[in-house]
Amino acid sequence: MSYKEKRTIVSIVTMLSIVTAYYVYAFNKAQAGLAAPDDMKFWATTILTFIGIAIVASIVIQIIFHILLSIGIAAKSQLQNGKCDEKEVEREINQEMIEDEMDQLIELKAMRIGFAMAGIGFVAALVSVVLDYAPAVMLNILFLSFIVGSMIESVTQLYFYRRGIRNG
Amino acid sequence: MVKKFVIKNNIRTLRFFADEMTQQQLAEKAGASRQTILAVEAGKYAPSLELAFRIADAFGVTIGEVFDYEIKEIKK
Repeated sequence: MSYKEKRTIVSIVTMLSIVTAYYVYAFNKAQAGLAAPDDMKFWATTILTFIGIAIVASIVIQIIFHILLSIGIAAKSQLQNGKCDEKEVEREINQEMIEDEMDQLIELKAMRIGFAMAGIGFVAALVSVVLDYAPAVMLNILFLSFIVGSMIESVTQLYFYRRGIRNG
Repeated sequence: MVKKFVIKNNIRTLRFFADEMTQQQLAEKAGASRQTILAVEAGKYAPSLELAFRIADAFGVTIGEVFDYEIKEIKK
């Protein structure tokens, strides 16, 4: 499995953990009667907090992932050659991290699918308002659609890396 | 009947005759990632004209010696 596939899987797991943590937190608050469906301030604050947590968690997890990747490459080099050449390891890491035309094409196609999902979610959120659902429902649909859109984007990337991609 | 344009390549053969050049070495010479070279070689990705020229250049051959095409007719 290549570096990019591993990175995509890490990203999916991070997003999944964040969305699970959010819904566990929100569900518990709602069960305890601390989150009224029309309390927009509570929901907006919670969503904003979790967006912040998601950004920080993504950065921290990516840093840990890169450290582990470097250790893995160094250990592999040590096992294969009996020595660990720092420059050789650095060269291999740089080579793994190159973003070329295929990566850009995959990213573009995956992003298009992710945006479509977010767009559908936006429309669904508007429909929920028209159907007289609580504002919290609208906010949660919006939040969920962006998270699911992002996860679908990552899954699509993984699919294209595995199956290959054609121009056009 | 639908005509399908399939791009083929001789990268594996060319690597063999280039002293068993690794995909990693070819990737470095062509300025692409190893994964892209792997995908091109497996026919999973049709490279841009620029990358195709760079791959040919890495072997010191013309683009026609690396890539070829075939038209397949598929029943609809």
